[in-house]
This record gives sequence, C-alpha cells and structure tokens, in this order.
Amino acid sequence: MIRTGVDRQPWGAILAFLLPAFTVYTALTAYPVLRTFWNSFHKVLPRNEEYLGLANYAALVQDEIFWRAVRNTFTWACISPLAEVSIGLLLALALYARVPGMRFFRVAWFTPVLMSYVVVGIIWVWIYNYDWGAANALLRWLGLGSLVQAWIGDPKIALPSLVFITTWMWSGFNMVVLLAALHSLPSEVIEAAELDNCGWGAKLWHIIVPLIKPTLLNLLVLSFIGKMKIFDLVWITTKGGPLWSTETVSTYLYKRAFEWTSFDLGYPSTIATVWFVIVLAAVLALTWLFRTRDRLEY
Amino acid sequence: MGRILLFAVLGLFTAFAAGPFLWVATMSVRTTTEISLDHYAWPEKWHWDKFPAAWFNSNYNVYFENSLLVVLSAVAVLTVVGAMAAHCFARYRWRTNRLLYFVIFSAIIFPPQITIISLFQILVQYGLYNSLVGLSLVYIAVQLPLTVYILESFFARIPSDLFDAARIDGYSEWQIFWKVSLPIALPALATTVILNTILLWNEFLYAVVLITDDAKRTLPLGIQRFMGDQLEDVGMIATGLMIAIVPVVLIYAFFSEKLIQGMTAGAVK
Repeated sequence: MIRTGVDRQPWGAILAFLLPAFTVYTALTAYPVLRTFWNSFHKVLPRNEEYLGLANYAALVQDEIFWRAVRNTFTWACISPLAEVSIGLLLALALYARVPGMRFFRVAWFTPVLMSYVVVGIIWVWIYNYDWGAANALLRWLGLGSLVQAWIGDPKIALPSLVFITTWMWSGFNMVVLLAALHSLPSEVIEAAELDNCGWGAKLWHIIVPLIKPTLLNLLVLSFIGKMKIFDLVWITTKGGPLWSTETVSTYLYKRAFEWTSFDLGYPSTIATVWFVIVLAAVLALTWLFRTRDRLEY
Repeated sequence: MGRILLFAVLGLFTAFAAGPFLWVATMSVRTTTEISLDHYAWPEKWHWDKFPAAWFNSNYNVYFENSLLVVLSAVAVLTVVGAMAAHCFARYRWRTNRLLYFVIFSAIIFPPQITIISLFQILVQYGLYNSLVGLSLVYIAVQLPLTVYILESFFARIPSDLFDAARIDGYSEWQIFWKVSLPIALPALATTVILNTILLWNEFLYAVVLITDDAKRTLPLGIQRFMGDQLEDVGMIATGLMIAIVPVVLIYAFFSEKLIQGMTAGAVK
C-alpha cells in the first residue's frame, strides 16, 4: 500500500507543538496538584516534613470553621447562579425587542465584570459604610431610616450583602450572553408564539426558556464554579468576618497557610485536597444532572 | 405606556450598574475634606493634581510598571504557547489527541487553592518567590487552559484543504502554523490577548501569595496596601482606584466587541 505524505502523522512536529504547553502544564499545574496531595498526609514545616498519615484529615472532619466555610461557600455558589441568570434573562428580554440605544445599555451593563474584585470590593465597602454609604443614604432619603444596616458588619446579613455584590457584578455578563443566544433563535418561533396569543409568562417559560436551555445551564455552571473559587472580594471587604459569617474555603485556607503562625503547610493542603474533590464532584454532578435532563426532553 | 416603563427600568438598572463608578470618578477629583462635607456632591473644583500625587507619592508608578511587565510578558508567551498547542490539537489526528486535550482543558475547573500552596513551595525552592518572572510563569500556567480552549475551537474551523495546499506548495509544518494558521486566526488571537490581559491585570490571589516585597507588587496588591495605609483618606483611595480602572476602561472602549466575545466564548453553545 502506498501511503501519501498527507496521511502520515509528522510526530516530530506534533511533539514540538505540544512540548511548551505540556512543560508549563506539568511543572506548574500537574506537579503542584500532586504535591498538594502529598502534603496533605504530612506536617510540612519550612525545614522538615513529617508523615502523619490521615491525621490531618481526621482533624479536618472536626474543624468547625472549615465546615462553616464550606456552608458559606455553597450557599453563595447556589444562590448566586440563580439570581444572576434570572436577572440576566429579564434584562436580555427587555433589550430583545431592539430598544433604541441597545448597544449603549449592553456596553454599560457589562462594565462591572471587567473591574477587579479588589476595585469592586473597595467601592462596595464604601457603599455599605454605615454613616455615609450609598446603601444607607438611599434608605434614609426614601424615608426608610429604620432599615439602615451595618451591611457587612452584622454577622446576620454580611454574607447576603456580599452575595449581592457578585450579583451586581455578573448580571450584566449573563445578560450579554443570553441576548446573543436570543438573537440566534429563529424569529419564526417567537413570532408563531405571538400569533398563538400566548401570555407573556407562558411564552417565556414554554418557548424561550427551553430554546436557550443549553446556554442557561452553561451560565449556571460557570457562575457556580466562579463562586466556589471566590477569594478576592471577601479578602478586601470582610476577611471572612465578622465571626466567620463570610468565611469561604479560600479565605480560610489562605489564613491557615500564610497567616497563622503555625507555619504548617500540610493542614491547609488537606483543606485544598478535600475542597478539590468536593468542587470536582459538584461540577461533575451538575453536568451529569443537566445532561440527563436534556436527553429526557429532546 | 409600556415603553416608558421599559425605559424607566433600563435607566434604573444602568444607574445601578454604572453609578458606583461615576461616584468613584467624582470622588477621585475631590479632596477628602470636600468629600466628608457631602459624599455625593458634584466636584466644584477639579483637583487633577491628586493623580500625580497618588502616582508618585504612593509608589503607584512602580506597581503600574510591575503589572505592565508581568501581564505583557505572560500574555505574549501564553499566546504563542497556547496557539501552538491549539493548532496541534485542531490540525493533527492521532489516537491520544482528545485525551491530551481533555487533560489540559479539565484544568479550567480546578480551584486555585489546589495549586497555590505547592506553587508557593516550588517558587521558594527555585528562588522565584517574590519575583516578577515567577509570577509571570504562574500566570501562563493559570490561563493556558482557557487560551487553548478558545483557540482550538477556532483553529478547528479552518478547512484542512488549506493546509494540504500549503503542504503541496512545500511549506514545512512550522511554516504552515506560522504563515497559514496564525494569520487566519488573528481575530481569535486578538480575543484571547485582550481577555487574558484584563483577567491578569485584575488577578489578586496568586499575586498576594507569591509577592510580598513592596517593590515587586502588582497594581491590585498596591491598591490593597494603599487602602490599608490611607484608611480614612477616601479621596486619595478613589484617585488610586481610578488609576487602576482607566487602562481597563480604555481597552474596553476600543475593543468592547472583541472583549465581550472573549468573555462569552464557551458560554454560548
């Protein structure tokens, strides 16, 4: 059989193209992940390491602050996607009817996503300031002075206040994505629904939502993953306080690894390992859940 | 009637989304004394001199330069390395192709915590802790999966006839990548460059762990330190924030479509 050059794979070229990427990946992603696993079974001090077996894991199970942080992070990761995506969808529908100045709104609403959490965090510390922050100023101006709060100083409402910030930040992003999805729909479908004279809510729920379902689910998962990682915003605004009410897994890990004077990197690595498994399991579960649903319907 | 209501809602949401930035912008040209009298007044006298003051007296020039160095070098390397890998995944067929692609791609969902502690150890071990080179290397690794993902999906759409033609013309594999693939992929490359620039410009977690030396701080760390130092000086912090915001806004003003494309890539199927 004669093989032409087109069929044979140029292994040299393939290797050369992949080598830089896999060098970086191996050295700075794969190896660190494995080293963190290894750390998690050890006490890791600057000069010596000591094998502990599962002692770190046993301690972690008992660690109330850790579980508090897990609860907070999960609360955040479950509420945020729903809030962001539904607000984003409503905004996208508002713009869908080709409102004049649509481009302007689209660009303006997208802006918060581009700012770093550090910038956003500082701005919102001011907005939540008890004496002169915009939140309380607005309430006083509306004559609702009784509702004035120490938004991020009160353990009861600190976490919702932070969730509100991420919702503010990401709703515009979801709107832009959903708007693109809506515009890619065949317009006959929506026109047909209008002819059938179905109500606004019915049209939304029975026609539009099923059509853009893949995009909706992607956005939910994306937002979920983002919130499972959250660190910067909390670090700038509350550092996990007051009373661990906004502690997330990231902030707790950072404190244990780099702020506590124990200098042990083993225990924080255990936190990282357990959290890694939890995040992976959650993402896989979500993807699986959404997949099977799709299959049932189509 | 419905239209008025619609515009009221749109207007309110715009004020809600953009208001905070406008507020910071007004405060950035007012002195703290003026601000404490009324936090929401329009600037009477525009104190532009606050910008050079923040820039020179608070080390902002150093932070800015560091950020620029780290981000630009990381993005340059990232684009080439990512494009090479993406081209390879999209162009050649071999048995472990999808497996290797998945290995890199799956790192997108890794929480940063899983690598951050070991990265700290590794960089200390190799003398790259507290160094801009070390931080750039980490940034390359962090953004690699997303870059390969965006570029691969673009390269995969280039018709393979084009490559066959180039090969018949006597192009080597490297020339095909450099002279055929890259020029066609320019729009996608631009998207990843802009996206990575903004994401890394804003990056905080890796920087806060891997940099402690004040002369090595990037802008987000600088702002955080600045806030810690000048806790009561709201006016000056606002000026500092504006300095960090302006480059992003400028990039956004010129490339808003590209940027939105990049940020939303992958979310739309």
